[in-house]
Amino acid sequence: MHEWALAEAVVSTVERLYTENGCKPVLAVNVLIGELQHVEMEVFSVGLENALKDRPFGPDVFHFEVEKASFRCNACGREWLMEQQQQIGEEEQEAIHFLPEAAHVYMRCPSCGSPDFVLDRGRGVSIKSVELQDSARGSE
Amino acid sequence: MIDPRLDVIGKRLAAVDRIVAVSSAKGGVGKSVCAALLALVFGREGYRTGLLDLDFQGASAHLLLDVQLDFPEEEAGIRPLRAAGTVDFMSFAAFSREHAVPLRGSEVTQAMLELLAITIWNPLDFLLIDMPPGIGDEILDVLRYMHAPEFLVVTTPSRLVGHVVERLLVMLRELKVPVVGLVENMVRKDSRAAVLADRYSCPLLGSIPYEEDIDDILAEAAGGKPLPERISSVFRSIAARLAAGGQTELRRQSADSPPADVV
Repeated sequence: MHEWALAEAVVSTVERLYTENGCKPVLAVNVLIGELQHVEMEVFSVGLENALKDRPFGPDVFHFEVEKASFRCNACGREWLMEQQQQIGEEEQEAIHFLPEAAHVYMRCPSCGSPDFVLDRGRGVSIKSVELQDSARGSE
Repeated sequence: MIDPRLDVIGKRLAAVDRIVAVSSAKGGVGKSVCAALLALVFGREGYRTGLLDLDFQGASAHLLLDVQLDFPEEEAGIRPLRAAGTVDFMSFAAFSREHAVPLRGSEVTQAMLELLAITIWNPLDFLLIDMPPGIGDEILDVLRYMHAPEFLVVTTPSRLVGHVVERLLVMLRELKVPVVGLVENMVRKDSRAAVLADRYSCPLLGSIPYEEDIDDILAEAAGGKPLPERISSVFRSIAARLAAGGQTELRRQSADSPPADVV
């Protein structure tokens, strides 16, 4: 249920932008969900609804896009996707679910075995853009 | 791209009265021991106390306080673990266990933001932070993302350590960050920290005698055994002076400053 904390963070950001921009109606909030963190969307949605109580915008403005995780090895240059990653145990996946940087503890480059890799994209929860009436915040 | 975590960190720490970063520019001076002992003593003195281990790569506070590393319980976020019966505790080690944690600077920042965004701290009088050695990402991130941290700087009688610690004091002064005091650890003969304390106008809160088996003593104390009086008295005195020496004015000024624009 730590998805609730992330959902609350998303709502807090949208509320701040809403207030800072003269309380213009929120038309759309485009949220990226990184594949690496394995966010449970059902739990996240319930957390979102809970965080949206008494807010001037509802769950219908939120749109979600899953961003595939991709990695690049600093040691050998290999680039790979999540599905090419060697299988890790449930406990290790759970650790990454809580804290995505635990990937550097439990995952290795599939070519050279180095833990020195970069997560290029697909880490966790971020907001791609917030569309308010007559304006938009955020970036592609 | 907007990072929503930045908008919730202040709320997570809103019920924390004082954040004290136990720091030193030099490794091996006993920051973790001082942070853990202070947490233990504060907890036993009845203060609501938390300990956050931000030394991700060298996490050791859980070993000093003999914390069982289970995944944290979830409840609209994650709940701190419990250390020594009285201390709320959080560490990267809850997820990495005893494995190596090979992180680069930007990953350290990401991990710290995640922990700060999802950890639901109970109301606390003190949140002590066990900082990693040096003047790197963690210190800069604490200053950037946490509200009004105070620094407790650990030094030793070593001339070398004194020189390196002085650089941290210079930087903290330059940044107008409150230094609540100096603590001198591992004192065998002469104390040298008084000179440093005078030079930077910060109180020397205590000089801790060198203890060969301090980590064992601490782990036993975390299990309920009383601390030896020679250690207990020093740390009770440090805790009392720390509790009396809050940087109220600076904190109030900082609390009024507007949040950073994250867009």
